[in-house]
Amino acid sequence: MNVAENAYQVYTELIDSTIISYNGPFDAQVLSIIAENIEYSLSDNPRVSKKLFKIFIELAQNISYYSAEKQENSEGILFGVGIIMLREFENHYSFSTGNLIERKQVLPVLQKCETINLLDREKLRQYKRKLRNMPSGEPGSGNIGLIQVALTADYPLEYSVIPVNDDNSFYIINIRVNKN
Amino acid sequence: MENLEIEGTHKNFFIPEVSFNAKTGICEISGESFLEDTIDFYSILIDWLDQYINVVKRPIAFIIKLSYFNTSTSRSILDIMNILKDYEDDGGEVVVNWHFDENDVDMEEDIDDFIIDTGIEINKISF
Repeated sequence: MNVAENAYQVYTELIDSTIISYNGPFDAQVLSIIAENIEYSLSDNPRVSKKLFKIFIELAQNISYYSAEKQENSEGILFGVGIIMLREFENHYSFSTGNLIERKQVLPVLQKCETINLLDREKLRQYKRKLRNMPSGEPGSGNIGLIQVALTADYPLEYSVIPVNDDNSFYIINIRVNKN
Repeated sequence: MENLEIEGTHKNFFIPEVSFNAKTGICEISGESFLEDTIDFYSILIDWLDQYINVVKRPIAFIIKLSYFNTSTSRSILDIMNILKDYEDDGGEVVVNWHFDENDVDMEEDIDDFIIDTGIEINKISF
């Protein structure tokens, strides 16, 4: 297959599987429009729709607060910029997000993902309760959004960090949710 | 003491419906909770409960019918459960009823986490 055919195959596969894709600032209005789309697109499967909705809100809020790339919305307020894709496969849905993070955040982010993946469900619930009991804002209290995402998906997190330049890296996270 | 009534909305953010009654002690929160400033919103509920506990000093029936809340909200719910548990430990009469969709296993697990965290008794009522 030549390059053009290959690109076309990638393109058609993406078009066929993609339910929602967005790239830009994650302000409240964008969150609400995408959340509505999730509920609408998956209305025939309320259980999975609810899971994807819960996952989306936490991932989107993470981008909104923590993305190293910020953009003003129409009201002049800065919001984090990132990309989000919801895709459908034969037996599962897949949520992917990507955003820039500062270089000094790379290690904490990787450690957090690794910790989450090492814990079984009961231990993960314990970890969530421990962090939730710490006063927010205290060092280490972090946010419990990503733990909730892993609990809701009931699947390990798939993640990677790609260096972009001296200041920033691109942080990608992929979440699977089974259809049944 | 005045009642606390907040109308729920489902717009850009989701504001839960709140109905706290100072005469009957029946305090209900329902709908969905995803707020612009979670701590601001729940501090109103917490201030009302503090006043009720310190001034009215009568029984509280706390009824939760939230179908969705984000993780920021779950911190505030934890604060409320701790306040109710302290009131109960000080001799106050407290009943907590949490209504949830029987298909929502994640919600049931969340309720169990609040029970483990605070030691408060929560009646889980599925529908």
